[in-house]
Amino acid sequence: MLCKIAFGNVRRAGRDYLVYLLTLTLAVTVFYAFNTIAIQVDIAGVEAQSSGMGQLLGNIISGLTVFLALVMGFLMVYANNFIMKRRKKEFGLYQVLGMSRGQVALIMAIETLLVSAAALALGLLLGLVLSQLMVFFTASIFKTQIADFHFFVSMGALVTTVGCLVAIFLVTLVFNLRVVRRAKIVDLMSSGRKNETVKTRNPWVAAAIFVVGLVLIIVSYARLLSDGLPYDGQPEAMTAFLITTAMVVVGTILFFFGLSGFLLKVLQGMRSLYWRGLNMVTLRQLAAKVNTVSLSMAVIAMILFLAITSVTTGMSLADTMNNTVERGTPVDFTRCLVYWGPRSLAEMNNNAAYYGEDTRYAAADGPVDMMEASANDVFTATSEGEAAGIAAGQPFDLASIAGDYVQVDTFDSTPRGADRPLVSLVDLCDAVGRGLPAGTESSDASTLGLLVMTESNYNAYLRFRGMEPIELGKNGYTITSDMGATVNDIYNAVLGDDVELAIGGRTLKPVQDRVPEDASTFQNAMMGMNSGTIVLPDDLVEQLDLPPYYSYLMVNYAHGVSTDQGDAYVSAPRTYGNILNGAGESVAGWGTEATRTATYESTDTMNGLISYLAIYIGFVLVVACAAILTIQQLSGVADATANYRILSELGCDRTEIVHSVLVQQSIFFVFPLLMGIAHAICALSVIIELVALFGGMTIGGTVGLVTLIFLIAYGGYFCVTYFMGKGIVYDATRTRAAA
Amino acid sequence: MQTTVPVLEARHIEKVYGSRSNVTRALSDVSFTIGKGDFVGIMGASGSGKSTLLNCVSTIDAVTSGQVLIGGADVTCMKSSKLTRFRREQLGFIFQDSNLLDTLTARENIALPLTIGRVAAREVLLRVEEVAQRLGIAAVLDKYPYQMSGGQQQRVAAARALITDPAIIMADEPTGALDSKNARLLLESFETMNARYQATVLMVTHDSFAASYTHRVLFIRDGRIFTELRRGDTTRQQFFERIMEVVAMMGGEASDAL
Repeated sequence: MLCKIAFGNVRRAGRDYLVYLLTLTLAVTVFYAFNTIAIQVDIAGVEAQSSGMGQLLGNIISGLTVFLALVMGFLMVYANNFIMKRRKKEFGLYQVLGMSRGQVALIMAIETLLVSAAALALGLLLGLVLSQLMVFFTASIFKTQIADFHFFVSMGALVTTVGCLVAIFLVTLVFNLRVVRRAKIVDLMSSGRKNETVKTRNPWVAAAIFVVGLVLIIVSYARLLSDGLPYDGQPEAMTAFLITTAMVVVGTILFFFGLSGFLLKVLQGMRSLYWRGLNMVTLRQLAAKVNTVSLSMAVIAMILFLAITSVTTGMSLADTMNNTVERGTPVDFTRCLVYWGPRSLAEMNNNAAYYGEDTRYAAADGPVDMMEASANDVFTATSEGEAAGIAAGQPFDLASIAGDYVQVDTFDSTPRGADRPLVSLVDLCDAVGRGLPAGTESSDASTLGLLVMTESNYNAYLRFRGMEPIELGKNGYTITSDMGATVNDIYNAVLGDDVELAIGGRTLKPVQDRVPEDASTFQNAMMGMNSGTIVLPDDLVEQLDLPPYYSYLMVNYAHGVSTDQGDAYVSAPRTYGNILNGAGESVAGWGTEATRTATYESTDTMNGLISYLAIYIGFVLVVACAAILTIQQLSGVADATANYRILSELGCDRTEIVHSVLVQQSIFFVFPLLMGIAHAICALSVIIELVALFGGMTIGGTVGLVTLIFLIAYGGYFCVTYFMGKGIVYDATRTRAAA
Repeated sequence: MQTTVPVLEARHIEKVYGSRSNVTRALSDVSFTIGKGDFVGIMGASGSGKSTLLNCVSTIDAVTSGQVLIGGADVTCMKSSKLTRFRREQLGFIFQDSNLLDTLTARENIALPLTIGRVAAREVLLRVEEVAQRLGIAAVLDKYPYQMSGGQQQRVAAARALITDPAIIMADEPTGALDSKNARLLLESFETMNARYQATVLMVTHDSFAASYTHRVLFIRDGRIFTELRRGDTTRQQFFERIMEVVAMMGGEASDAL
């Protein structure tokens, strides 16, 4: 019996439940499809390229899913409240007719169960289809070939999805039961009348609030644009940033709080527009709803802002890496040596003594021959090594596979015994009258010293790269850097303005007028790693007595060695040998090493990872926002049905009423979106500045596609809202039944 | 007195609800005419069909058979878009619950029929002021419905019905939700509208006191016109007593009409 009532209710209240069903179905679809990532990655052949990728992505995504399920859970509670509110009278009636609260609650529970089950079935079906299609998408963003396409079902994803749905269902159920449990019959029965009281605020006050909100937003924009982001964690900068954030949040809330009042005031000023058709009804209706809706509009604007910003930043970073990876991989293989800094030796030795190590550390007298030192590495016994035909215990004979190679040695610009660098970014900025680039403002001269390399070493590097050597003469210098435009612009200004540097008693002049960006990369990396190395005459470097800082070994494989063979040899696991001086003290340690192939692959992988997460989070957030708006709008239309019926009886055309509803809905959908976009543009312009440090950033490409997907989701909800709102108006204005 | 085209003429109207197996005949063979400047009441017990009658002649509901002519035009065969326009221009409505839009001020509520009809803003505002003066509600023009008394709300609704200068004003239990003082105030405004501005009013009521303000009362029972009373030159008090007699005569089942 109760089942029958519940089933009938779901069918009858189909329209109310539609949004609920739609959103839950979408959630299930997306949850399932994205949680199959581990299998997708396998089929798409990503796993073969970078092992552990599927596992990693899978873990991140399932963690995210729990978070997003939480968001969805609250959304569903909200959607359900809307349904409950509209049906309070009905529940009251059941109780008046003698049903116990438990029975009423049971009806509720069965209804929720029916809809959730339908959403689960529908969502899983769509999810299955979507996940098959997504394999192709996965392959394209990870730039791999699909090894062996076959239909698949992921038990793990199924369990996660069903688990999330059950959790959402339980949360909704608890809230529903609470409503039924707490409600007094008299309240339930009279709730129809209670909803009718409308509070209206003085439009002047509202307009003033709007203006205050707008001013706050503009001021916070200005603050953000002038102050930038507090990436260095300085307390004052953090405080300033928090104030800016608070301002924009409060501003956004006030903006939406006062929006309708402001529109009302402005349009009332334009008499012929206000007193025309249903314009005043539209505006008054907006103003009446704003009390209940303004806060959620503000929240939605902020969520949309977060979604837009994170997706755009993520995708753009990925694009940027794609663009810079070619310049960042000049040779087949690079490895790097890090010399112990003279100022940290004492601490290192203390630590070693404390932990009972017998290694002693010392400063290197000069650069170490890396090709020779590489032979101290020893291969360990692994399956990978065996596959490449390398026996364990064998020394790492880099020379055996190396063709051309060059070693680049850089020196610290702080001479031994000195405590200030000879040349730093701060000095250079001062010399050309510029501020420090974003992200480095709080640094001082002692932390921003440039590195130094000799002319002959740089020329050896240039010849190795097949480029023209440079001629510094006795008093020349130049600067190399492969960082982004923010830093390079400063160096370019220094070189272009012929800034003279006084180093070691000489007055040096630049011999180039631009940073040779294409001849500044010393190791394979996804982004620029050389933040500024000044090239000085050999005799000057010698005279300055600078401690070595980094050495880079850049190797192209020999003619007879294929890329695969070479990569296999250098990638086989080995233990690093010690770099010792004549006294048996350690002077340096091995740093990062990278093959060109691996750098490319990790760029693709990073791209894929970022794109995936950005789309997943963004999509779910946008759907959640749009669903909230839809539910609010529909409940607004439903609350106003009495008004629409009156209008129809007064002889107002139905299409005009629908048009008025459409205008209201458009305002509610478009304004948060516009506000979110405005916030995002402001934030992104600052973020771009910061990201530009690491090799520039371009917004475009994939971002376009993602925007399209989001607009379809958002627009789809708008269409649903419009058509359902239209349906409600049509029902309300149908010829009045006999009174 | 010369006979002109009646403002409203109902010819043999019938209204049947339900399907073939379960038929309710709400109105059967009802005919009457209302001339210009008439103030007509329709009385009857709950379920007698009086509200159905009003809905049918006021184009809110469709008749099953018969004809309704307003100003000579047959509204039973009009298309819905034309009907909408007709309703807007020829009819004014006043309901038991004042049916004001709760989000609009009194001024805006009264102006609504004009703005929907695309009357110029300046004229709209002038006419609102004028009709508000007539009905004594100028002071509440900028208040919202929930800030007004029930009587004020009904007079605002009356002003809204009057503002388009309609051929006929249809009032459905306008005093139903009012206390006696406010009911009298509203009925007096109806009298004023009728006497001074020649407004034609058709009022459905089950209140004999309200009916005594009219010139003519139609009594409905079981979907048919039972009888008709004309006030003639008698005083309102005398008319009231005659109405009471008819109500008593209509029998026990109609006693709740008191």
